[in-house]
Amino acid sequence: MHILVVIKQVPDLVEELEINSDGTALDPDCISPTLNEFDDHALEEALLLKEAVGAQVTVLGIDATGELDQALYTAMAKGADRAKKIVGDFDEETHLSSHARARLLAEAIKPIGYDFVFVGVQAVDDLDGQVAPMLATHLGVPHVGVVTAVHPINGVVSIQKEYWAGIMAEMDVTPPAVLGIQAARQSPRYAPVSKVRQISKEATIEEIEAGEVDERLVVPVRRMYLPESSGRAEFIEGEPGEVADAILNLLRERGIK
Amino acid sequence: MLTLTEKIIFLIVVVLSGSLAVAGFTRIFHAISRGHGGLPSWETFKRRVIPMSMDIVLQRPIFKTRPLPSLLHAFVFFAFGFYALVNVVDVLEGFVHFSTTGQGGVIGIYNLIADVLSFLGLAGMAALLLRRFVQKPFAIKSDVLLLPEARRGIARDSLIVGTFILTHLGARWVGQAFHIAETGAFDPFQPTASVVALGLSGASEAFLTAGMHVTWWLAIGLILLFLPYFTYSKHIHLMVGPLNWIMREDRPMGRLEGPVKNGHVGANQLQDLRTYQIMDAYACIMCNRCQDACPAYLSGRPLSPAALEINKRYFLNQNLSSFAGGDTAIPPMLDMALPRAAIWSCTTCAACVNICPMGNRPMLDIIEVRRYLVNEGDELDANLQAALESFGRQGNSFNKPARQRAKWAKEVAPPIKDARKEPVEYLWFVGDYASYDPRIQENTQAVAQLFHQAGLDFGILYDAERNAGNDVRRVGEEGLFEMLVEQNMKAMEKATFQAIVTTDPHSYNTLKNEYREAGLKVPVYHYTEILDDLLHTGKLTPVNRVDAVVTYHDPCYLARYNRITAPPRRVLSAIGARLHEMERHGEYTHCCGAGGGCVWMESAGEDRPSVQRIREAATIGEDLRYFVVACPKDMAMYSDAVKTAGYEGKIEIVDIASLVLQSVRRPPAERTEPEPLPKQQEQEPSKTKQAEPVDVEKEVVA
Repeated sequence: MHILVVIKQVPDLVEELEINSDGTALDPDCISPTLNEFDDHALEEALLLKEAVGAQVTVLGIDATGELDQALYTAMAKGADRAKKIVGDFDEETHLSSHARARLLAEAIKPIGYDFVFVGVQAVDDLDGQVAPMLATHLGVPHVGVVTAVHPINGVVSIQKEYWAGIMAEMDVTPPAVLGIQAARQSPRYAPVSKVRQISKEATIEEIEAGEVDERLVVPVRRMYLPESSGRAEFIEGEPGEVADAILNLLRERGIK
Repeated sequence: MLTLTEKIIFLIVVVLSGSLAVAGFTRIFHAISRGHGGLPSWETFKRRVIPMSMDIVLQRPIFKTRPLPSLLHAFVFFAFGFYALVNVVDVLEGFVHFSTTGQGGVIGIYNLIADVLSFLGLAGMAALLLRRFVQKPFAIKSDVLLLPEARRGIARDSLIVGTFILTHLGARWVGQAFHIAETGAFDPFQPTASVVALGLSGASEAFLTAGMHVTWWLAIGLILLFLPYFTYSKHIHLMVGPLNWIMREDRPMGRLEGPVKNGHVGANQLQDLRTYQIMDAYACIMCNRCQDACPAYLSGRPLSPAALEINKRYFLNQNLSSFAGGDTAIPPMLDMALPRAAIWSCTTCAACVNICPMGNRPMLDIIEVRRYLVNEGDELDANLQAALESFGRQGNSFNKPARQRAKWAKEVAPPIKDARKEPVEYLWFVGDYASYDPRIQENTQAVAQLFHQAGLDFGILYDAERNAGNDVRRVGEEGLFEMLVEQNMKAMEKATFQAIVTTDPHSYNTLKNEYREAGLKVPVYHYTEILDDLLHTGKLTPVNRVDAVVTYHDPCYLARYNRITAPPRRVLSAIGARLHEMERHGEYTHCCGAGGGCVWMESAGEDRPSVQRIREAATIGEDLRYFVVACPKDMAMYSDAVKTAGYEGKIEIVDIASLVLQSVRRPPAERTEPEPLPKQQEQEPSKTKQAEPVDVEKEVVA
C-alpha cells in the first residue's frame, strides 16, 4: 500500500497576525509558517497504517513559501519514507487558491503510483475544505471527506466518516481514493529534534517542477480585515438574582413571553 | 590451636569458597563492564582515593540523615573494619601456637579496640535488625514496580546478612571469653569479653578447648561459607559503595553527559547504561533513603529510586551469568526496572542523588531512559509534547511568539538596554516563566527596578533569548536542548557582557554548568547573589525593615545542584526579615514538583509536593507571613499550592526581589532623610564583583 500525504504550511496562529498596508493579505513579516494541523493528522493516520500493514508513506507539498523543507523533514523524522515538493515561481501576489492547489497537486501526483491520497480535511487559512474533493476530481478517483479513522482490511480500508449532527458512518474504500482526514485515531506523534536534524542532513527531497498556474485560478482579494465588532453585546453583572431579573426584563421588553 | 585435620579442612574450604567467590566477582566485573563509558580512569582513582576514604571512614555520606541508625551503622562499620585485622590475627592464632589474650602493650591496645568494637558492633547490629523486623520502616508501596523476587528477597537477604554479622562478631567475642577463661584471669584489655568469661569460670579444660574451636569456626569459617553468597547479597555494598564514591568522575551534578549511543539513543536495556550506573545496583544497600526524599514517591507517584536500583540488582542476581556473558535478549528497563509512569514522575530534583550514602545516581538512569523514549517516538504526555513543540517553534513553553518575550520590559523605566546593541556588564538572562507568566512578570519588573536603583549596568537579549533548555534536556530531548543552546549562543555572540545574571535557577544551572561545552566563558550568577552583593556594598540600602516572620524555599537547582544557599539568606537578613527555616532546607530542600518537565505534565489527583511543602511551612507557626521564593516556577507552583492547602490569606507567597523592593523603596514622606538599617555584618567577601573564573572542577555533589 502506498499512501501519499499532501501537506501544506499555514501561518502560525500563535503569532499576532497583522494585515499588510494594502489591506489585501497578511503582513508577511508577521507570518511564521507551521504545518496545517489537519495535515499533521493525515500524516499520523498514514503512519499508523504504515505500522499496521507496512504501507509506504510519501509526503508531498507545494513549496509556496520556500520554507516547506522543515515540514517535510519533520514528517520523515516521524516515519514517512519519502518526501517530494512542488517548486515553481510562486510570488507573493500569486495567492494559491484551493483550485490552483488541487490542479498543481493533481499534475504532480498523476505520474506517481499511489493507493490512497490523504489530505487534511481543511486548513486554517482558507477553511474551504475543497482541495481533497477537487484533487479527487482531477485524478478521477473517489473521495471521502471528514474521515476520523482509517483501518486496513485486506487491501481495502474501512473508514469512519463524520456527518452533521454527530452522525457517524463506516464504509469500506477500495483504492485508489482521496481521503480528507479530519482527525487521526491518536494525536500526532512528536518528532525528536535530533532526528529531524539528522534527516535534514541525510535525506533528499525530490523536486517536481510546477506547471503554469492558470490565471483564472488566481483569486484576487479585494479586502482583508479583522472581524468588526458590532458593539451590541451588553454584560449583565451583579448577584445571580439581579442578573435573572435583568434578563427577564430584557425578554419582556423585546416582547418575548 | 587448630588440629591438623582442622587445618586441612580449613585450607580446602578456603580454596573451594575462594574460587566460588572469585567466579562470582568475575561475573559481576563482566556485568558492570558491559556498561558504556568504560571503567573510570586510574587518574580519578588516585585523585579521589584519599579524600573519599576520609569521608567514608568518618561515615559522612551516611550521617546526612537518620542520625541514630547511622550511628548504629557506624558501630557495625568500625567493628567490621577492624575485624579485617582481627580475622588475620585469629587465623594466625589458629595455625601458629600463639595467643594475644592476657597481653599488654600494643597487643593489649589491639585487644581493647577489638573488644569494645565487638560489643558496639553486636549492639549496633542487633538494634538495626530490631529496627528492620520490628519497626519495619522499609516498605515500598505496592503500586511501585518491584520485581517479585526482590519483594521476597530484601528481608531474607537482610536477615541472612544480619545473622552473619551477629554470628561472626558474636562468636569471636565469646571465643575471646573462652581464651580469657582458660587463663583464669580477668583481662583488663578485654573488659566485655572478660565479663562473659566470668560465666565460664569453673568450666572444664575440655569444655573450654571445645568452645575455642567451635567459636573459631563460627567466626572465621563462617566468612568462608558466606563468601560465595556475598556476591549475591547487599552486603557487597561494603566493597562497591566505597568504590562507587572513589571512582566517580569529577562532574558537577548539574552537568549531564550526552546520551548513551548504543545503536539507538539513550537506554533501553540495562547494558545501555554507563558502567557506573550498572555498578550503582551493587552499591545499593536498599536503605530507601532516596525514596524517603523523593517528591514523586512522597506525593503518591509510582516512582521509587530505591526500587529502581533494587530491581536492577535482583535482575542481575537472577541473570548474572547470561548478562555477564553478553546476552542481549533481556527485558527493557521499562519492564524490569521502572515503568513509564515512574519514568515520567521524576522531577530531576536530585534529592535521591544527594542523599544516597553509597553515591548512587538513580536519577541519571531515568534521564537515560527518557532519552530513549523521546528518540523512539514513544507516546508522550500530551502537554509535555505541546511544550516541546512550542520550544521548537517559539523557544518557550507558553506557545507564545518569541517577539513577545520582552513585553514585560515595556513597562520598566528607564528602558532596559538591549545587550545586542550596546555593551553591558551584566547580561540578564530572564528565563521563560519570568518573561511570559503574567503572575510573575511583576516580580521580573521588580528585579529590573532594583537593578536600575542600584545603578547596575545590565541588559537583556529581548526576543532573541530562548529557553535555556535545562528541563528540555532532563526530559530527554537532547536534540532540542542542543538547538536551544545554539540559538542562545548565537544571540549571546552578538552581545558584549562580562557576566550573566539569571532570575531562573533552572537556567542558572544549565548556563553555569552545561553552556561551557558550547563555549560560554563568563561567570553566571543567580539574582539572589547579585542582590546580596548590591546590599552588601551599599548600592541598595534597606530603609524599611521587612518586619515579619518568613521562611525561605531553596530551589533544587540553586541549593542542591549548585549550593547557593547563603546569599538569599543574607539578603533576607539585610532587609530585617526574621527567617524561620523549614525542616528541609538548604541542600536538603524539598522539590516543588515542577522540575524535569513535570511542570508541563498532568499530575492531578495526588498530594502534590508543593502542597505538602506549604503544609511543612505552616508548621513554623501562626505568625509565618511570607513564604519566600527565588525561582519563577516556584512562584507559579506555590501560588496555586497555598490555595489548595487552605492557607490563602494566611501565608503569602512572595519573591525575594519584591521583598527587597519593599525594603529599599522609600516612602514619599521619608524621601529627604532616609534612615538606613544598620548594615549587615561582614559575613563573606562579596562574590559577585567582577568576572572571575568559576572553579569548573569543583565538585558540588559530595
